[in-house]
Formats: sequence, structure tokens, C-alpha cells
Amino acid sequence: MPAKDYAATRYSGLSQITTANAPRLRAVWSFSTGVLGGHEGQPLVVGSTMYVVTPFPNVLYAFDLTHEGYPLKWKYRPDVNPSSVGIACCDAINRGAVYSGGKIIYNLLDGHTVAVDAVNGRELWKTQIADIGQGETTPMAPFVAGNRVIVGPSGGEFGIYGWVKGLDLATGKILWTAHNMGPDSLMLARPGRGRYVADPNIGVTTWSGDSWRRGGAPVWGWISYDPQLDLIYFGTGNPGPYNTEQRPGENKWTNSVLARRPGDGSLVWAYQFTPHDSWDFDSNAEMILADLVVGGRLRKVLVHFDKNGFAYTLDRVTGELLVAEPFANVTWAKGVNRTSGVPIVDTTKITGASRGDVKGICPSLEGGKSPASPAAYSPRTGLFYTATNNLCMNFAAAPVTRIPGTPYIGATTPYMVGPGGNGGAFIAWDAARGRKVWEIKEKFPVWSGSVVTAGDVVFFGTLDGWFKAANARTGRQLWKFKVGSGVMGAPISFRGPDGKQYVAIYAGIGGDWFLLSGDVRSDDPADVRPPADFAAELGRHTSQGGIVWIFGL
Amino acid sequence: MLALLTACDRPDGIPPSIRYPDHVSAGGNLPPAGDLQNPFVADSTNVADGSKIFSAMNCDGCHGGGATGWVGPSLVDGRWRYGGSDGAVFQSIFYGRPRGMPAYGGILSTGAIWKIVSYIRAQPVPVTVPTESFK
Repeated sequence: MPAKDYAATRYSGLSQITTANAPRLRAVWSFSTGVLGGHEGQPLVVGSTMYVVTPFPNVLYAFDLTHEGYPLKWKYRPDVNPSSVGIACCDAINRGAVYSGGKIIYNLLDGHTVAVDAVNGRELWKTQIADIGQGETTPMAPFVAGNRVIVGPSGGEFGIYGWVKGLDLATGKILWTAHNMGPDSLMLARPGRGRYVADPNIGVTTWSGDSWRRGGAPVWGWISYDPQLDLIYFGTGNPGPYNTEQRPGENKWTNSVLARRPGDGSLVWAYQFTPHDSWDFDSNAEMILADLVVGGRLRKVLVHFDKNGFAYTLDRVTGELLVAEPFANVTWAKGVNRTSGVPIVDTTKITGASRGDVKGICPSLEGGKSPASPAAYSPRTGLFYTATNNLCMNFAAAPVTRIPGTPYIGATTPYMVGPGGNGGAFIAWDAARGRKVWEIKEKFPVWSGSVVTAGDVVFFGTLDGWFKAANARTGRQLWKFKVGSGVMGAPISFRGPDGKQYVAIYAGIGGDWFLLSGDVRSDDPADVRPPADFAAELGRHTSQGGIVWIFGL
Repeated sequence: MLALLTACDRPDGIPPSIRYPDHVSAGGNLPPAGDLQNPFVADSTNVADGSKIFSAMNCDGCHGGGATGWVGPSLVDGRWRYGGSDGAVFQSIFYGRPRGMPAYGGILSTGAIWKIVSYIRAQPVPVTVPTESFK
């Protein structure tokens, strides 16, 4: 599955690659995907086949790992509506596929989920799940829990009415749709029953008028699952528009974690990280499930690095907040009240059309960490590993009108590098205590995912195109290789048919950096831009281009 | 502004013959019917109106504040996929373009579209295009 296991740990139990031999890693294979968009997500290895989904037009490649040069077994080239490219807020990316029951399942950008026979590449089913006419696109990686395929849309910048859907694994039929706000009947919420204790229709009463109907709350990140509790966990994105004054109220359940039953979608509990979001602090980042000793007790927890700069450790049975500490530079809040779970907001940082240009907000709306860069957890070290950004922003909101299928944003938000002058860092985090254990500073924001192995080696990539290995216990750098383009994918580690351990990663800068650093693009003679002022040197080190790499000893 | 934003005036003067998907014409010569003239002079009032409409219709959501490029291309680099004449820019807005540029004909009045054209065409092209050098 996309994040290795139900718990989304991105932990590999392979131990051939160690802190001692990692400096001898070498490239064993590479493949150009033929696509320039941002290569987020990760390859998927099932048995002796590696599957790769490209950004739009969402080609699916199946590589035979048993033959020299890993030739293709087949490729599947779907018919994807090119209009969807203009509906994707931030490049036409894709976050990968999931395997279940002989099927490779992934989302096409234009609002379809497809299931393809993992052996021969034949399309088994194709279901329309989203409407690009309403600003919905679908780059997230589907998740399978039991016989349900769980999917959600992007579109927080297009005024969508956010949801998740449960599809039948066998047929692709949509079995349930659960909205993230609105009346309880549409949220599939039953207040007072089970553990969902919110006020009735809180998805309406925390909004003004019918603003919830276009209030965003997209689901474009990662999903995890606890089979014992039979709960899926996922984050929701920002409320729309960015101009807070068009949606007074807490705007539940935007910027939240929701726990639902995969079978029927019913809402069991929810917790909102950033009420009445003033800064585009989506909570789509992964919810990593672990069992940790917190405050002297072994707890079933979920750990989440939010865009708002705080790392949260929650009891995943009840949603109780256990730990919330900043992992990045934070100015918008002084902390999080442990009892109420509500952030202590610096009111001078609240934005809105009547508040003019609010300066000095950290993190920026790229997040203390991007949800596009999933963290990893090693049960051996007890530590979490994540890319981080060190950016701040000014934020000038403005009134905006919703025109379906066009952006519904209403803000201008220039960025600047935060204190220290490094654009980002890769860090190790102790989620039981809420503290940073080590960090590797990087010149540019760090946007890659990570994988950590039983050899205590952690891997990540940088925007300027290095793929790196570090000692998971100390943060000492062990090895690096220039992969040809900036890294925003997530590495994986797998055992090949030859019994050897390998590590794979995508190179291919894009995503937000396709927008922010337009000078890393050279594919359009009619679009020539100066460098981003806060990352002026990035174009010196990288340009767009999608490559799959495999490394081994 | 309100009068500008409504589509109450019909798109008179828009010949149906130019409605090709990509507006590619033989030899690069637009048919005479497609040679449209901006009825507005590019004075500060019309340019300012165009700037407001550019924001109000969410154009900046894709093309960026100041039209400097975002998920959609820069409109101030002096380079054009589909032609940079007033008429060509008008057609891009009115009919839309492949890969995501929505058609605003019928959503915006022709007058409002022409004012956006005035705004875009009035933006200065940075002198550093096309060379980017690193120290």
C-alpha cells in the first residue's frame, strides 16, 4: 500500500543496508517516465513487479524486476480529460497506487478511480468519483480497508464541498459518500452515539449561512487504518475561501482528523487542529499509528505533523489530545491548550479582507511540513522522521466570488525564509515527549517523503536534487546521490527477486514548486519567469523531469 | 463594476468562424473575420478596471497576482502560446484554451473581456527575459 502498511509507518523491516555499508550504495537502474509534472508519491512493489504512476496523464507502468534492465511487462495509458490540468490547484501530480486482491487501484486526475489487473494491465473497473466542473480533482492515493476503496478529492482552492467515498473493491461501485461538513445526515454523523460527542449539525452551526456548501475540506492526503478498532483516519484540508470573513465560525470539520468506519463511512470521532483557519493550514498530512508510552502509560496513538507547525500525538481510540508541540518555527499561535485542544492564537496574526496585509506569519501556507511529504516511523528507534519547511509569509486577504471550476482563493501570500536562513530541514521527532531529537538543515525547503529501515538508515531527498541516507539514530549523513531533478516523491525499500535490498525514489520537481519556482520549467517557450525571490538559487540546481531510480549495494 | 461584470450585452462582433479548438490558422494568418479590435483605449481607467476584473473573476488564482504566472502561464513575459495581439488574447479569454483555461464568454460581457485585454497588454515586460544568470 502507499505508506507500506495500514499504520502508514513507511518502515521497512529489511536490514541488508546498514549505517556501515550505506556509503557504498550505488545506482542500479533508472527510467524516464516521459512526464514533466511533479513526481510525488512512491513506486509500489508487489512480488516481482514494480508499479509506477506518473503525474497527468497518469500512465501506469509495470516493470519486471526478474529481468536485467527491468523491462516493462505492460503499460496502461488511460484517457484523462486534459481540462483537469487547469482544475488542479498546484500542478497535475499523483500520489500513487494501492494493491489489493490482484488489482492496482489509483486515481486519475479528472475525477476517476480505476482498477487495473495487476498481472496483465487490463482495466477492470473505472468509476467517476469527482466532478471537475465543481473544481474537484483526484491526485491522492486510494486506500483499501477490508473490501472498501477509500477516496477523496482535491479542491480546497476551488470551493468544493469536501467528502470521502467508500467504493466496493470488487466492482468500483460507490457504496457511501460522507461529507466533511454540513448536516449530520450528509456527514454520516450521529451525535451522542458512540464516541462522536459533537453538537448536532456542528458541520452547519460552525459556518455562516450556507458557506459550508463551498467550504472546501478536501481529502488529498494519506489514509491509515486500525483493523482492531475498525477505524480509518484521514485529514481534511483548508476551508475556502482564504478570506476568513466570508465564513465566520470554526468551520468544522476543516483542518481536522476524522475517524470513520470504513464499512459504512460513519463518523466516530473528529478533532480540529486549526479552527477557523486564517492561514491555509490543511491537515492532509498522514496520521501515523503507533503504540507509545506517553506520560507513563502505553497508549494507542496517532502522530500527525500539521501544516500549522505543531506535531500532534492523539489517542486514536478517543481522539484525546496528548501532545502538541511545535516542530517548526511558529508565530501564529503561542501553543495548544492541552485540555481544550484549542490553539492559543496570536490575534495579531489573524487574517481577513478588512485586516490588510498581515505580516510575519510562520509557518507559511506551504506548511511547517507539506502533507505531500509523508513522514516515517521506526519502532526500533521510536522516532518519527519528516521533511520540514522553514518559511514565513505575509497574508493579504481579499473578497472573492465563487465561479464553479475556477479558483476560489482570495489572498496574496508572499513567502520569506524563516529564522536561521535555511529553507528547511529533515528532522527526527520524539512524539511521546514532543521534541526534536536531531535535524539536518537544508538550504531549500525539504519536500520529500521518507523511509526508515531495520538497518537504522533513513532516506530522503531534497529540492535541489540530492537523494540522501542518514543514520536514523544520530542524523549523521551517510551517502548522497544527485538524481537529476528535485525530489518530492517518497522513497521505498524492497527486497528484489534476487533477494537483495533496494531503495527506490522518484526525481521530478513540480507540485507547488512548479508554481513558486517557475524558472525550473523549460517545456513552454511561452512561459518564462524570474526565480522565486525566497529561493532564487533553486533553478541553478534543478529543472523538471521525471525519473525513477533504484539504488542498491 | 457590476455593469462590466454582467453578460447583459451580447457578444456582438464575435464571428462564429473563429471557434476552432486551438485557433491555429493556415500559415499563421488569422482569417479576416478574426481580426478583432479592442474598442477601448488603453488609458489608466480602462487598465485599472481590467485589473479589478482580473482579480474579481479569479484569473489571478491561476495566473498569479500581477499575472506573473502560477499554475497558469505568465502573461507578462512577452511570450504567447496562442498569440499576443489584442484579438488573440480576447479569443483566449472568450473561448478558453486547452488544458484548463476556462471560456469566459457568456460569463463576462465582451466589454469586461476587452478591459482585461487592456490590463494584460499594458503590463511591462521585464528586461531580464529571456536570460537568467547565476552568480
